[in-house]
This record gives sequence, C-alpha cells and structure tokens, in this order.
Amino acid sequence: MKFIKNHLMFILPLMAILLGIEFYLVFDRTTNTYEKGLKEGYSMLVVSKDPMDLSQFQALNAHISSLEKIKRDNIVSEVAEGVSKSTSKAILKALPYFYNLGLDSYLHSSGLEEIKKDLETDKNIKRVETFGGSYNSSYRLFSFIKFTLKIFITFMTIVSLFLIIKQMEIWKYAHKERMQVMEIFGAPLMLRSGVLFKVAFIDAIFATILVSAIFLYVKFYWAAQSGIDIMMQNQEVLFRLSDIGILFGSAVLIVIIAVYSVVFSSKGVQE
Amino acid sequence: MSNVIHASHLTLAYEKGEKEIIKDANFSIKKGEFVFITGPSGSGKSTLLKALYGQLKPSEGSLVVGGLDLANIGKSKLQELRTHMGIIFQDYKLVNEWTVAKNVVLPLMIAGYATEIQDTQARRLLKHVKLADHADRYPLELSGGEQQRVGVARALAKNPVVILADEPTGNLDDYSSNVIWDLMENACQQLDTTVLVVTHKIPTIFSLPYRHFIIESKGVYEVH
Repeated sequence: MKFIKNHLMFILPLMAILLGIEFYLVFDRTTNTYEKGLKEGYSMLVVSKDPMDLSQFQALNAHISSLEKIKRDNIVSEVAEGVSKSTSKAILKALPYFYNLGLDSYLHSSGLEEIKKDLETDKNIKRVETFGGSYNSSYRLFSFIKFTLKIFITFMTIVSLFLIIKQMEIWKYAHKERMQVMEIFGAPLMLRSGVLFKVAFIDAIFATILVSAIFLYVKFYWAAQSGIDIMMQNQEVLFRLSDIGILFGSAVLIVIIAVYSVVFSSKGVQE
Repeated sequence: MSNVIHASHLTLAYEKGEKEIIKDANFSIKKGEFVFITGPSGSGKSTLLKALYGQLKPSEGSLVVGGLDLANIGKSKLQELRTHMGIIFQDYKLVNEWTVAKNVVLPLMIAGYATEIQDTQARRLLKHVKLADHADRYPLELSGGEQQRVGVARALAKNPVVILADEPTGNLDDYSSNVIWDLMENACQQLDTTVLVVTHKIPTIFSLPYRHFIIESKGVYEVH
C-alpha cells in the first residue's frame, strides 16, 4: 500500500503537468485549424477606379495574400435590369472595380486598420471596407478562450510543480541516508542516484502511458460521440503519435531535474 | 616505511574565518600502524576524522592521505581515495532498507565487482564477524553490537589501506566492544591495514603495539 502511495504521489502531479502540456498541444493545433478557417473565411472589400492586380496590392501591404475580382457584369445586370444595352454599357463604364482581398494571417482589428490605411494611400483606391465589427468580435472571443486556457494550464503546472517539490522532500528524507553512506564510501553520483532514478523513471513511464491513454480515449471514443462540432472536425489533431515522445521527453526532463535536486541536496554526512 | 597519513601545519575550521577546531597540527602515521586519538568531548577528534576522509577541507596547512593532499583534491580523486578507506561510525551508518549482506558488500558494489564475487565476499566477511546466519536480515533487526560488526565487515570488505573509526564502541557493551577491538586488531595485524581510531578511552585489553595521540587545546600531540 505504502509502495503504491509513494509512486502515486509522484505520478499524479507528473500527470497533471503532462496533461497541461498535452492540452496546450491539442489546443494549439485545434486553434490553428480554427484560426485558419477564420482567416480563409475573411476578406476585405476594395473599390478601385482602375483595374489592379495582386502584386500592386501586395506592394501596398505584405499581409495581402489573395485577390478575387468581383465580376462587374453581374453587378450591372442586377442594377440595370430593364434598361437598354447602351445605357447598360455606360453604367459598366462608369462602374469602379471591386475586389475581395484575403490575408495571410488572422490579425487583430488594429492590423486591419493598418492595412486599410496602407491601401488608402493609393489614389486609385476609392474605398476599403474591412468589416471590422464582426471580425473583431470573433477575434476577441477567440483570444479570450486562448488566454483563459493558457492561464488554466499555467496554474495547473504551478500547482503540480509544488506537489512535485513536496514529493522531492519525501524522496530526500527516504533516500538521504543511503545516498550519504554511499557517498562516504566513494560512490559516484550515478550510482548514488541510481535507485531514485529507477523509481522516478518508472513513474515517468506510467504517467506518460496514462496521459496518452486519456487522450487516445478522447480522440477515438469521446470526441466521435460528443456531438461537439469543433471536436468532431478536429478529431485528427486531438492526439498524435509524436505527442507520446513529447510527453515522455518532458516527463524524463522533470525526473532528471527532480532527482538531481534531491541528490545534490543530500550531500554530506548527517551528524 | 611510507607515511599513509601526513599532516603538516594542519588547521581545521568549519567555515573560513571561524574559530579553529584544530590548529597547526603536525603528525605522520605509517602503513600498518594502529593509532588511537583521544581527547575530551568537543576537542575536535571527530572533526579530524572528517578531514581524513575528505568531508572537511583543511583551512590551512596540508593533510596528505595515500599520497593525495586533501586540501586541493578534486571530486573524482576524493571518490577514488574513499574506495581505499574503511570507515566505521559510532552510529553504524548502515542502510536500513538493505539486507546485512548488501550493506557489507557496499564497497565492492561501488568498485563494480560482479554479483557472484559480492555474494562470496559477503559470506566470507559475515563469517569473519560471526554473523554468517544474519546475511538476509535487516540492520534494524540486529542488536547494536551486531550492527557495529556489520559496519566493521563493510569497512574490511575491500581490504582498505586505512580504516578510520569514530568511537566504534561508544554505544556498545563490554562484550561487543571487545569483539570489535579484536576484529580491528586482526585487520591491522593480518592485512597490514593502518587503523586510526577516535575514542574516549583506550581499551584496557589490547594486545597490539599502538601509537596514541591526544587532542588538547586545538593541538594534536603524541603520548609516549
């Protein structure tokens, strides 16, 4: 019972940190996909006197990545319904050119205003419509969710680190005597810390397996049946095989830091 | 005969600039000698022993053990030096979660001996200290005298060049004390090991010739 308790006291905070790391990875990938969707769904409308091409727009602002020309014939056919061909031609001639411009990234509304300003420096451009209002509310909501989750992950990591430090104190108490005796008889650092490393390394493997299992369950069972759009659409990014490597690497790094801290603080002979 | 230990103008203090425990001590101990160091409580006997196994660096002067000056010794050299020492403590300093046999072969384990050799040596050493049937027991299951015999067996495990003992019989009854003295006399006589014992008083029954140093008023003096 004591054996299980000792292991759980390190495995649980380690799992909390690994969960935080995996949450961050998953959230980062999911939000990237979502951000890509928002970016692709967004375009600003530009009205110019003369025809323009993409390179001309890009020369004004580097964030502009795509251009879609709005066909003027369609506009005229709707506006000039029932009028004569010659009138229709005159309207077409007088009509400016309309473009939908796509951006290379999901920018804050101030970024949009900057692009607008840059575009308006060109005398050929008559009007720029950024649709900043709806864009801004999506952006704010998106940023808020991102921020909240980061705070939560940071908080979880800090609490877990405190728990690990507590466990390190228990380790220090439990292993100090042996490590000191070994040091007196000339044991090198690796030999002194060998037992502790073995214990912590096994815990790191368990923590990685448990966290991976949780996310594999979420990916293959829970997400598919959750009915939550964002989960179902992003099922692929919920857990990747490479995540096991990242989680195990992080767990081993924490183990190395924790074990060496205990070993170095246990030096000297206790009187 | 060559000096195993040589102290020259040795000064020991726990912190630099703090009050010295030992001041300007000069002495030499040769291979195979049995040495007692006595002195009143708090005179610095254990401090000197600590310095001899490299736990405390000399603040002034030099302390050469096995040809290495402990005032300027690096970590790896100190580790190497300690593998040639057998150290015995008043409070035994056994690893309580290890069996008696494992405790005894600790120096062999550190030196990287094969498990079979460790097992053979453990049996031989435990027989030598008359604890052959206690190999699989744990230190806390033994009496104080038995624990100290395990400590002596551990100190002898690798045929050390020098044995340093800090009040080895301080917590023991007369019978156990005599057993410990016998074991250390044998080590000195048969293995030509230098034995340096810090103690309150020299045992009354002691057959070997020995040297006696006394620590008094921070100085280390030989008693003739």
